[in-house]
Amino acid sequence: MMLRRRLTLAAPFAALALAGCGVNAIPTAEENAKAKWADVQNQYQRRADLIPNLVSTVKGYAAHEQSTLTAVVDARAKATQVTVTGDDISNPDKMKQFQDAQNQLTGALGKLLAVNEAYPDLKADQNFLALQSQLEGTENRIAVARSDYNAAVQAYNTRIRTFPDSITAKVVYGAKPITPFTATSPNAETAPTVKF
Amino acid sequence: MSSLPVMRAHAGISGGWRGARPTETPAFAGVTEWLWGLALALLTLLASPAQALIFPAFTGLVVDQANILPADRKAALEQKLEAFQQKTGRQLVVATVNSLEGDDIQDYGYQLGRSWGVGLKGANNGTILLIAPNERKMGIETGPGIQGLLTDAYTGVIINSKIRPAFKAGDLPGGIDAGVDAIIEILSMPDDQAHAKEAAAVAAWDKQNKRSSGGGVPGALIFWLIVIAWVVFAGFLRRARHGQRYGGSNWPIWLWAADSIINSRSSGSGWGGGSSWSSGGSSDSSGGGWMGGGFTGGGGGSFDGGGSSGSW
Repeated sequence: MMLRRRLTLAAPFAALALAGCGVNAIPTAEENAKAKWADVQNQYQRRADLIPNLVSTVKGYAAHEQSTLTAVVDARAKATQVTVTGDDISNPDKMKQFQDAQNQLTGALGKLLAVNEAYPDLKADQNFLALQSQLEGTENRIAVARSDYNAAVQAYNTRIRTFPDSITAKVVYGAKPITPFTATSPNAETAPTVKF
Repeated sequence: MSSLPVMRAHAGISGGWRGARPTETPAFAGVTEWLWGLALALLTLLASPAQALIFPAFTGLVVDQANILPADRKAALEQKLEAFQQKTGRQLVVATVNSLEGDDIQDYGYQLGRSWGVGLKGANNGTILLIAPNERKMGIETGPGIQGLLTDAYTGVIINSKIRPAFKAGDLPGGIDAGVDAIIEILSMPDDQAHAKEAAAVAAWDKQNKRSSGGGVPGALIFWLIVIAWVVFAGFLRRARHGQRYGGSNWPIWLWAADSIINSRSSGSGWGGGSSWSSGGSSDSSGGGWMGGGFTGGGGGSFDGGGSSGSW
């Protein structure tokens, strides 16, 4: 009788003690990181969606820049093939593959945008100007989404590696650290510069 | 990134500590090490991502830190912006800053918008016209909620055709006026989907605003009250049956519970969680809610880096 009452009394505190060890907080932080990752992918997708229009506009003015145009089209095709779902974000290899593909597209795009300097007609084309500013905004969004994602990853990784949540992370969830975004290639951090 | 200096401090301090007490037993050293680890882990948790940038205070819809607007133009502009918010529920802010602190204007702009909470939480319908006269840079930052109307391309058009010509001629107030007029014009157009979302966000803001001035009851507080009541009640029962044997033994639990309440409130979890209310918007400043006219402060809106920028 005595023991039972004690157990009844202990139950809420056991629940609270568990809550203090991150039983709720760890999945919350993980879901947050996944949501931020979805934002990152959305913004990259948005960039990929802008490219066909950009390519056809540039083609109209600078048809003999064929190699630059092909490079962009190829890089886009490759980049859209590599998708990383929310469950894959703790897989460093997949993340690296994704980043490499996107970085390659960033580089190819930068070359394509640099081409416009040589074609005054292209530079004055309203459609091109509009695409250019959409692309500029999208590169900015990618940068913001990436830094938001990294902040969420840092919060999650810190949580699962510090006491007392580290115990819950290991015992209950078997949590693995999530891979943050890194600037791997030298020019990865610099978006194609768009000058007016 | 902020953990690196902390880790260095860790090595330095624990080294010094051990050096000062050479007679320490290994077991004790292990405990101290563990305690240091715990303390530093807590420190790392407290050290939020370094806020590298310092922003001016959000004092009104026109924040003229760089002092490029004459008083009468500033007042007229403020009136125009307040009327715009009253009419549409969207928030447009003009900010001039002394320095971008070496940052890119677009990067500075979105962080400024988030720090001020321009626009409404959920609807994210804020816009900032940001001018850095010393760097000769201007930018339009748009919240995700209005980008359907005020597209990146259109912000580029506004900067190129309305603002830059006036700025190049040295007429900063004129350029700002022209830019603001163009933004207000496009954002006053109907956009049913955006409006529905905004109406909901306005209602939420007004409700929350009222509640915070009247003193609401946080969910976490209720929860902990129930827990405490349970413990007290059970304690009474026990005491009635077994005399004073366990008298006073509940104190640590109460302290713990009280501490949890304080923590849960200060970290912003639970009730009203996470809205950036630190950004301003004292609850009784206007009395008429988000669209009641006057300066409301920010509504917790967010920014995603959309918009465009340029220089002159």
